[in-house]
Amino acid sequence: MNLRESMGIALSALRANKLRSFLTLLGTIIGVGSVIFVLSVVEGLNRYVSEKILSAGSNVFWVDKFGEAMNEEAFEDALKRPDITLDDVDAIRLGMRHAAAVVAGGQATAPVRRGSKVARNVSINGRSAGYDVVEDLTIERGRHLTDLDDRRRRPACVLGPEVVDEVFPGTDPVGQQLRVGNRTFEVVGVTKAKGKIMGVTQDRFVTVPIHSFEKYWRSRFSYAIYIKSRDQATLPLAVQEARNLMRARRHLAPGRPDNFGITTADTWMEIYRKITGGLFALTIGVAAISLIVGGIVIMNIMLVSVTERTREIGVRKAMGARRRDILLQFLAEATTLSLSGGLTGVVVGVGSALLVSVVTRLPAAVSIPSLVMGVSMAAVVGIFFGSYPAWRASRLDPVEALRYE
Amino acid sequence: MLIQIRGLHRVYQVGSEQVHALNGVDLDIDSNEYLAVMGPSGSGKSTLMNLIGCLDTPTQGSYTLKGQEIGKLSDNELARIRNQEIGFVFQTFNLLPRADALHNVELPLIYAGLKHEDRRRRAREAIELVGLTDRIKHKPNELSGGQRQRVAIARALVNRPSIILADEPTGNLDTHTGEEIMAAFGDIWKAGNTVILVTHEADIARHARRVVRMRDGKIESDTRQPGHGAGTGSP
Repeated sequence: MNLRESMGIALSALRANKLRSFLTLLGTIIGVGSVIFVLSVVEGLNRYVSEKILSAGSNVFWVDKFGEAMNEEAFEDALKRPDITLDDVDAIRLGMRHAAAVVAGGQATAPVRRGSKVARNVSINGRSAGYDVVEDLTIERGRHLTDLDDRRRRPACVLGPEVVDEVFPGTDPVGQQLRVGNRTFEVVGVTKAKGKIMGVTQDRFVTVPIHSFEKYWRSRFSYAIYIKSRDQATLPLAVQEARNLMRARRHLAPGRPDNFGITTADTWMEIYRKITGGLFALTIGVAAISLIVGGIVIMNIMLVSVTERTREIGVRKAMGARRRDILLQFLAEATTLSLSGGLTGVVVGVGSALLVSVVTRLPAAVSIPSLVMGVSMAAVVGIFFGSYPAWRASRLDPVEALRYE
Repeated sequence: MLIQIRGLHRVYQVGSEQVHALNGVDLDIDSNEYLAVMGPSGSGKSTLMNLIGCLDTPTQGSYTLKGQEIGKLSDNELARIRNQEIGFVFQTFNLLPRADALHNVELPLIYAGLKHEDRRRRAREAIELVGLTDRIKHKPNELSGGQRQRVAIARALVNRPSIILADEPTGNLDTHTGEEIMAAFGDIWKAGNTVILVTHEADIARHARRVVRMRDGKIESDTRQPGHGAGTGSP
């Protein structure tokens, strides 16, 4: 009852002066709001990323020259490594027992042209057969590239749907010719649209046989070897196998580091987690500062309130209130204040997360634990910063307090 | 004996100076007495009231209330005594401004730990006793001075204390309303309560059966007045 009374006092004081209440609680609102906002956005991104990246190629990893070179120094070291050649790819393909597919990959960028229609900045993907399995590509019309296309050095290509839209609007491209860079290719197939991942289109490419790619674009950099393991369970085995094969091929003595990189979807998830983790840490910092400032403001308001109500405290003590009763009363008031800020912060955070997800199409997922966390943070702020004013109130001498004007 | 005071001293430290607000007071008060403490300001009557009301503890000497030595009690025990044994009535009423009459009267019962329904019932009874049943939902600023003091009296009575302690209860009221309030105290006394008034007005003090005059922290005189009819309780 005393608790309910205290909460009532706090709430009516809040209602009595709305602008002051808003300013008082601004820090708490921002602190809780930003945490809820970022948690929601990060949670949404997590779901999105694990859906898009993990589901598509969870059994796929690749061997390349650089691996996960996260800084300039590592990158410069990696530059000195030997290139991965198509012979390397063939050797791995022959040696792998746990692989469902081993595919050579080369990458270039070139404009694609048919008559007056031009698509610029198209990814030219050189691929050996089996790329459809590794890249999870389905054909919409026509057919995929085959090993025969590659061996016969046929100038055949498969288009991503975005290229089709730009270069073959309203017509069926299968069987037609187009210029890729300054070479002519025949379209044999079109893939199904995959959409965007993190705002990057997955449909703007021309896939050509790997030997044609080597002939015309002569990959400056080394090739990548895409490997799909038989299933999720054999993935670690396949990774180890590929690593051993590469090391044997390069005569690396035991104890010497790899002079190539292996990247799995897990690696990507790890990088991604590092980024979101950084974002999260930053938010926690901002939230912590806002909450501390918010808490200090609440403490200040509570100190003012204790002073204003000195006489009331005296009366309550004369009526038999113990120190504990006064302490709890003011703690309850401070906590009610900060909880009001916390709940407002939750509304603001959820609102802005939903707004962002509507405007930018970034997914946002509001999770119940984040809401609970936000509200409890506010409660902790109230209790922590309300303690001192409440303690002061409880220690007032009843005679002095009753005499206070 | 309800109250027994022996050699009571209260010394305040004001800056570097020691002020002897009470300088050796002896006083016995029986149950159902109607007593007025008089004296000019600075005579120590407020200090004496604070000590009797257990708001303060003596520097030296002994004060026993119902056989219990007050000077030895902890803060929580003092709070309990104030709650159970003392009913305060103040010059400035000291009602909670945001609470209605009923809630104000309930206050001592909250700290006594009574259940909600019991509190409501007893607070209503106390308000009825002071004749304010129709003002039960009014806040202090919606009540006249006399009505506010009646609410305060109801609050003082609600927990059935041993002593009603009133500090200049008519100081903020006009003469007519003051007389009404004094009549109310007379009724309370006749109902068997012990009433202690602190006042500097002789007109108010004459309502009491016994008048204790103070000067310079000491009791100057202690006289019993005849007339006015007697209480119903002990002699």
